[in-house]
Amino acid sequence: MSRLANKVAVVTGGTSGIGLATAQRFVAEGAFVYIFARRQEELDKTVASLGKNSAGVQGDVRKLEDLDRLYSKIASDGRTLDIVVANVGAVDSVKLETVTIESFNHNFDVNARGVLFTVQKALPLLNTGASIILTSTIASLRGFPGRSAYAASKTALRSYARTWTMELKDCGIRVNTITPGPCDTPLIDAQVSTPEEAAAVRAKHAANIPLGRMARPEEIAAAMLFLASDDSSFVAGSELLVDGGMCSV
Amino acid sequence: MSKLAGKVAVVTGGSSGIGLSTAKRFVEEGAFGYITGRRQAELDQAASLIGRNVTAVQGDVSNLVDLDRLYAKVANEKGKIDILFAGAGIVDPQPLAEATEESFDKVFGINTRGLAFTVKKALPLLNDGGAIIVISSIATGKGIPGFTAYSATKAAVRSFVRTWTAELKDRRIRVNAISPGPIDAPIFEQQAPTKEGADQARAAFAAAVPFGRLGRPEEIAATALFLASDEAGFIAGVDLPVDGGMTAV
Repeated sequence: MSRLANKVAVVTGGTSGIGLATAQRFVAEGAFVYIFARRQEELDKTVASLGKNSAGVQGDVRKLEDLDRLYSKIASDGRTLDIVVANVGAVDSVKLETVTIESFNHNFDVNARGVLFTVQKALPLLNTGASIILTSTIASLRGFPGRSAYAASKTALRSYARTWTMELKDCGIRVNTITPGPCDTPLIDAQVSTPEEAAAVRAKHAANIPLGRMARPEEIAAAMLFLASDDSSFVAGSELLVDGGMCSV
Repeated sequence: MSKLAGKVAVVTGGSSGIGLSTAKRFVEEGAFGYITGRRQAELDQAASLIGRNVTAVQGDVSNLVDLDRLYAKVANEKGKIDILFAGAGIVDPQPLAEATEESFDKVFGINTRGLAFTVKKALPLLNDGGAIIVISSIATGKGIPGFTAYSATKAAVRSFVRTWTAELKDRRIRVNAISPGPIDAPIFEQQAPTKEGADQARAAFAAAVPFGRLGRPEEIAATALFLASDEAGFIAGVDLPVDGGMTAV
């Protein structure tokens, strides 16, 4: 298993869920992975579990100086970048009539602005043929109550993929989005009080999905691997839906 | 390289271009491949290029009798299909003002009706949990003079993918489309009466691609491999463009 042999990747939001599963798969395929996340304790735990082909940099994508610190570390480690997974996302649930400025700004600061500067500041380190992957959401394709700012901020990513494809084409850099469907993670159990409630949440999601179940984080990671690897060398400016058919029917 | 070990794949349009490249890749990954095409000589050449674990069955997908013959052979010899790659397709450029019934019927007969019955007749043999991959085209999202029929046939194919995702969900059969951009394949020879004309067409299409080149058939094959394998276990109903960024233009 070495489809990313000798490659260097950045995964933001890599200490849990999809980001963590992606970092795990990338390391398993031979990559060196830098994880960028806000909480030092989670970062340390993740790097310890990933092993010697990983390093953690603490920071917040809303702070440009934190992003500078991430990329300075990579440069001073003597590395250049093949893969950037801009995976950090904020989400909340607020119906339109109660949306506040704070909620609006939070969603756009993290999801739209944070992603732009995550990628911008990677540019000087990117190798020819590098792959940039932006984690989007099915909420940008469907109307989910409570997601005004969240969905709109994430829709920016599909647009970024087009704009940056045209800006970066001469360097052979590919920019794509991944749009995961509902994913089965421990977050589901954390949000309810009993196993029965958790099962009910899972069943509710599954009912809307042709494949009849939620995604496993490893399945999203496998799609990330496809876009990160040379197997997708002619895939650029696209959106890869990994949603069990939910948004296609 | 054994992502498809033990699997049986059927590839229509398997004697050249995308279909041949895909069949070759599937066999390299451990599958047994049945390839079908209209021209026996090309088909035999394709089979010897693939070398092993392949059987060629001459046939025209627009002819239901030929499809029956193909699947009878598969049923007799293997008794199952795990992967169906519907790659048979033709182009016959005609400006609308010069459109003929004959051309219209021919293109729809192969690209759309032929494809539908290719899939229908495979259903009794397809394993639950299997994968169907069809070839659409980014032409469906563009206005390309001369492509009235071709683009429409491919738009229909993308629509099939949605319908069949819903119909086949209880069998957990994943149906997905790949939309290739311009790929360096013999289909260009169908678009001009002379070699110079075909090469001119190649150059014109390449210039329209942000990456500045045609795609290689192997790049479609790598995408097909991904969609056919367990790596894409949560991907259903999608249309994945492999087009060097043309969707961004």
